[in-house]
Amino acid sequence: MNEYKLSNIKIGLEESFSVVIDSSKLDKFLDISNDLNPLHVDNSYAKEKGFDGRVVYGLLTASFYSTLVGVYLPGKYCILQSIDTQFLKPVYIGETLTIAGKISYINAAYKQIEIQATIVNQNGQKVSKATIKTGLIDE
Amino acid sequence: MTREDIFNGVQDIFRDIFDEDDLIVNDRTSSDEIEDWDSLNHINLVSAIEKEFHIRFALGELQTLKDIGAMIDLMEEKLT
Repeated sequence: MNEYKLSNIKIGLEESFSVVIDSSKLDKFLDISNDLNPLHVDNSYAKEKGFDGRVVYGLLTASFYSTLVGVYLPGKYCILQSIDTQFLKPVYIGETLTIAGKISYINAAYKQIEIQATIVNQNGQKVSKATIKTGLIDE
Repeated sequence: MTREDIFNGVQDIFRDIFDEDDLIVNDRTSSDEIEDWDSLNHINLVSAIEKEFHIRFALGELQTLKDIGAMIDLMEEKLT
């Protein structure tokens, strides 16, 4: 886990990590959220509607924004304040996603940072983007 | 930039942060008068003002501000 403090965070600082989406992650998200929409749980239904298969929950992929800030940037001293996100392309089981973030703004007075984040699949397609605001509780 | 220009820019920021297109503020408006003006939105207001006007505040400057008029006075000092 990274431990960036305000004093060593600069505009442009970047971090990223990758994750493979397997079906067990969808099953666990279903258990937590109870989102039974057939687009996420019924392969045949999803194909009928023009998708390649079960569509991964957008908020499951967005949950990795929590990991991005809580573990990588800034890491330990993060307190998440807001995520403004857009889902740009469907994500399917078996895909490898790379979640990346870059510091775009620092409010030094109140120790708030802003991170421009993206999620890109194994083909280099951007599936999601977000603006994330976090505080820093490093003192 | 005139004080009126600054005020109009700040009012637009308040409307955006508090999601009220017809919100009217004045120099004496304070956090007591806007229900959603909590500590987090206060930080968001300061961040939005810093970015929009390309200025930076120190914590000490912000702690003494009583209302929007005082904020605009401080901004006017920084912008001239």
